Amino acid sequence: MARPIHLDSVRKEYRSAGSVHVAVDDLTLSIPEGSFTTLVGPSGCGKTTTLRMIAGLETPTEGRLSFGDEDVTGQSPQDRNCAMVFQSIALYPHMTVRRNIGYGLKVQGVPKDERDRRIDEAAETLQITEQLEKMPAELSGGQQQRVALGSAFVQDPDVLLLDEPMSDLDAKLKAELRVEVQRLHQELDATVVYVTHDQTEAMTMSDQVILLNQGRLEQFAPPGELFDAPVSEYVARFIGTPSTNLLPATVAETDDGYALAGDGFGVLAPADRFADRVGDSITVGIRPQYLSADGGDYELTVIAGVVEQLGTEFVVHGHTPDGTDVDAVSTAFGAVEHGDELVVGFDPGDLFVFDADGRTICHGDALAGETPRQSP
Amino acid sequence: MALGEGAAGSVVPQRLQTRIKRIALVLVAALVAVFVTVPVYVMVAVAVQSPAAVFRGGDVNLLIDSLTLRNFRVLIEDTNTIQYFANSLIVTASSTVLSTALAVAAGYGLTRFEFTGKTVAARAVLFAYMFSPIVLAIPLYVIFFSLGLLNSYFALTMALTAISAPFTIWLMWQYFQTVPISLEESAWVRGASRTRTLWDVVLPVARPGYISAAIFSFAVAWNDFTMSRVVMSNDEMYTITVGASLFLDRVTIGWGETMAVSLLICIPPFLIAVFLQNYLLQGFNVGGLE
Repeated sequence: MARPIHLDSVRKEYRSAGSVHVAVDDLTLSIPEGSFTTLVGPSGCGKTTTLRMIAGLETPTEGRLSFGDEDVTGQSPQDRNCAMVFQSIALYPHMTVRRNIGYGLKVQGVPKDERDRRIDEAAETLQITEQLEKMPAELSGGQQQRVALGSAFVQDPDVLLLDEPMSDLDAKLKAELRVEVQRLHQELDATVVYVTHDQTEAMTMSDQVILLNQGRLEQFAPPGELFDAPVSEYVARFIGTPSTNLLPATVAETDDGYALAGDGFGVLAPADRFADRVGDSITVGIRPQYLSADGGDYELTVIAGVVEQLGTEFVVHGHTPDGTDVDAVSTAFGAVEHGDELVVGFDPGDLFVFDADGRTICHGDALAGETPRQSP
Repeated sequence: MALGEGAAGSVVPQRLQTRIKRIALVLVAALVAVFVTVPVYVMVAVAVQSPAAVFRGGDVNLLIDSLTLRNFRVLIEDTNTIQYFANSLIVTASSTVLSTALAVAAGYGLTRFEFTGKTVAARAVLFAYMFSPIVLAIPLYVIFFSLGLLNSYFALTMALTAISAPFTIWLMWQYFQTVPISLEESAWVRGASRTRTLWDVVLPVARPGYISAAIFSFAVAWNDFTMSRVVMSNDEMYTITVGASLFLDRVTIGWGETMAVSLLICIPPFLIAVFLQNYLLQGFNVGGLE
């Protein structure tokens, strides 16, 4: 039965030779039962450590971890009804696929008939029935990963943990298995926690995304919210490809009110948020997809560097006249060449505004009300 | 400098190099084979013919033209060979089991647990391996004498294990490091206890390692002379190596019987080499002893 997972001020540090490395710092969050939650972040942000603490393979240095009402902080991995799929796949090389999948059931003392029935069922779901009597070494990478998923599936766990299970697979297999994992989630009554450094996986698969930054929680929200309303510059940069463009600007007081003045633009800003920030350096973020070749309330000049074709769209990697890197994505950039000067437009509603520390001051919706004065 | 200059094949053509390599390999192999097989052949030739046939006409006649079991019969009827052989088997088997079990336990502990003094312990193991058996023999003699354990299988088993264990522990320590921890973790998450995981997962995966360790401790124990000579002083308790070495001092025993007993000594190692050679190579590859 799926159970919610609560982390309460969890901290994990590693000590070695006198130095202390904090892998996870004061992490508090509740993962709803039955949800598909993804832990995402760059290498070394503590996501795998967090997952291993949930599995019981690491014990938190401080804080409390519970499944529903049950405190599991000090429980050994054997006593939690978790299943885990490892990055290294971790199939037992000396057992056939059938025995690999059934090992957990055997340990739990499930009789052989029942075991075989469940193995066959799992194998059918994952389309590995023909591989059941083979040894893991005879399987391809994708098949091995399916076996690992199958092992987790037959356990009927309360909590299913996946630690970057697809990082070693090629793009096509990844896409295939992504669907497989989601189907598994629908069939299982389990809370799924999935670790990845690949934000595409995080965005496409999950109900909830936990974005970590150096062991601390940066944002915990559904994927759409992470994309549209990042709480910080870090979130805005991490989520979405290409990364959000960051344009330096200052808050200025003008005749029309307040404006965010940058290289070639001055976006009107509401007084309630910016009146006390006049003169501050801020950063304006805009996603490459929201820079359009025509239209938009404001304009920005971009000098094109490299142009990449992505199917029907073109990605222009360029920079503004003062040297800030800017990427833009549109179907209309097909004819752009290196060195061309483009004028791209954007709407204030699509902007993010960050303060000097990288925290979000406001999202576009707060700016959208301030219409620029049209030149006659 | 022209492209490819100085690369393989620039002075001597690639094909010629390959051929030279192959010929050199065959030559070296043949040379080694001659050095190894000639003494073995001499041993077999002397062992399976009667002394009269071998030494006929005042020469050593090494072409096998008659077969007899006379030498073996003399060994069995006139000497304690069977007893010696049995003694050897007993202490070798006990020492092999003990040394391998010790190596598995210590190797796993060194690989998977952090404890104070771990590095010191590991270094001490390697240091112990540097001692030659004779250095250990006298102190061990004193110890076993004080404990009243001289002339016992137990004492010799312990002494032989003391010689082989440092190396087998080191070998298993290296081998366990090649077993990914995630295999164990995946078993723990599925509910298997640490001990069960060791049996179900770690040991099967580490099989080449502990078979190598067992073969090594077998070889040490079976071929041992020093320890047996020091610990056993009673004729009933001699191992085959010590027993055989004493034959030459006897008037009634000649070269034929001595070579026959040598042939007997060779049989167990030969069987092991034939049946377990693949494991031996796999295990030592990991130990960096290719």
